[in-house]
Amino acid sequence: MITRKTPLACDVLVAGGGIAGLMAAIAAAEEGASVILAEKANTRRSGSGATGNDHILCYIPEVHGEDPAEWLAEAEASQIGGYNDMDMFRFYVTQIFDRVKQWDSWGIPMRPHGDWEFNGHAKPDHMRIWLKYAGQNQKPILTREALRRGVTILNRTPFHEIVTNRRGEAIGGVCVDLNGEAPAMQVISARSVVLATGHTSRLYTPKTPAWMFNTANCPACSGAGRAAAYRAGARMVNMDLPMHHAGPKYFTRCGKATWIGVYSGLDGKPIGPFVTKPTKELGDLTGDIWMGMFAQKYKAGEPVFMNCRGIAEEDLDYMRWGLSNEGNTGLLDHMEEEGIDLHRHMVEFHQYEPILIGRGIDANVRCETTVPGLYAASEELGNFRADMGGAAVFGYESGRQAALSARTRTEEDAAAAGTVEQCAGLYSAILDREAGPGAPDWREINTAVQQIMTEYCALEVRSERLLSVGLQYIQRIQQKAEQMACTDCHTFMRCLEARDLAQVAELVIRCARERRETRGKHNRVDYTFTNPMNNDKFVTIRQEDGRPVTGWRSKNK
Amino acid sequence: MPPVIDKTKCTGCRTCAAICPLDVFGRQSAGIRVPEIRYPDECWHCNACVLDCPAQAIRLRFPVPTMLLYTDAPAISDG
Repeated sequence: MITRKTPLACDVLVAGGGIAGLMAAIAAAEEGASVILAEKANTRRSGSGATGNDHILCYIPEVHGEDPAEWLAEAEASQIGGYNDMDMFRFYVTQIFDRVKQWDSWGIPMRPHGDWEFNGHAKPDHMRIWLKYAGQNQKPILTREALRRGVTILNRTPFHEIVTNRRGEAIGGVCVDLNGEAPAMQVISARSVVLATGHTSRLYTPKTPAWMFNTANCPACSGAGRAAAYRAGARMVNMDLPMHHAGPKYFTRCGKATWIGVYSGLDGKPIGPFVTKPTKELGDLTGDIWMGMFAQKYKAGEPVFMNCRGIAEEDLDYMRWGLSNEGNTGLLDHMEEEGIDLHRHMVEFHQYEPILIGRGIDANVRCETTVPGLYAASEELGNFRADMGGAAVFGYESGRQAALSARTRTEEDAAAAGTVEQCAGLYSAILDREAGPGAPDWREINTAVQQIMTEYCALEVRSERLLSVGLQYIQRIQQKAEQMACTDCHTFMRCLEARDLAQVAELVIRCARERRETRGKHNRVDYTFTNPMNNDKFVTIRQEDGRPVTGWRSKNK
Repeated sequence: MPPVIDKTKCTGCRTCAAICPLDVFGRQSAGIRVPEIRYPDECWHCNACVLDCPAQAIRLRFPVPTMLLYTDAPAISDG
């Protein structure tokens, strides 16, 4: 039986304490709201920004000119573009420099070398839009700023469920306190709820199947916000469109643009058209623009390498500095231990498994979802993506808007809602079931989801037949997930994650069935053409009367 | 398989266990100085424990299947 903690109440409940969640909490507190932030791990080092980031998508008028049109075109044509609502992007342009200056004033070095410095992810003779910065300690700094503003941070307290009232409005959330010997249910009443649980990892089999947590983005981000939003009736968008990162093969990390080199074959010949020597200002954009490069070259029998041969010593130092701020000090340590010298060695790169980023909850420019009182920030969003900058801008804005709307809403007792009893029943069942060979553990469920997604909702091959049978398989896994057992707080948390992953997997498959065309990496072998009627149209899914309903909506231009 | 704690340097402050984003350390038993690592195969290689250890007592050992693949780099040439 799950233990129940005394319910808490606040104006704004923030689910997730990554960059976006901390920014949301900071902004809400600045608006005078009482704020509780529920974090799965510890906000000092959690989420995809845990140990840093070294570049952020930024528009600065004095650098890029007063008219942001060229900047916007460059950004929308980049690897983060294509499926963004442009009203979100135009708002981003008006905000990002303020957020960057705010971070700089708090002690995150945003111009560590003096001037604003834009390098990497860049085309020759084009505007450079990624600001280099030193973000290794961004999480402890943002945590300090949140605490200074009176935010209550509940560490080791993952958010699990949104509580709604009879009118379908969000009135709080159910979290699980993992600080004790056994999990305890923590209900929090709130006038507004902000979801900021990040992207979704662990949905597909990783490059190292036996090492499930070897993922580019933080593997603790397992779709809690998306799954809870869907269950609460929120509309999701763009879940059908696959996206994947690339980087060192098997040593899975983000930050390919921090490398200063040229993608080359074993013979040293550049593979892309952009650069012929290591260039600090540009990097090599080939891996961004030609997302299928690694897989296609592999099928042609050619491994692809990041070749830094000929790099200037000062540029190599700059790259090491970048990697150390990009959360890649572990990678640097590994290279040193292995004796890898980038003056004479090159490292093989490959594409990683798909993740959900810029595919998720549908929200407007005020970060309002289709559920009143429910807000979504940054990587939860399905209609905008700018990674770290998105977390800064839409984290902050979601918190601000949630605080403003909280003033107009009355507090309701979330603990009295039926959802809470359903959660208690679920938690007790997982806890009370005997762990061992008689019941599946979380890892079985997670692995099973990954297998089905990798083969039946794949990057390479999608079809009605594969997707429809894949949906049946995922639903069967969901039934088996209802029999999971845990051994302690840690595996209890993983059980809830596995459940959410199975839920999110179903949504991805349903949306992939809806898009009967090939577009980007959504490769329908039964509809091999790109249908111009679907240009600038997004697939949506929401739950109505307990049933999933897919649909379409136009991109906001 | 990471992290690896040098028992002679560890002061038992448990910062590593408190800040790990993946809860690799799990629940710590009372009365034990050097943190236990209950879930080593859930490490994300983020290096938070290495960076934040005040005694610099931690290093990561990367599992062999995650090793970087490298070879000699030829000169970059379009020819």
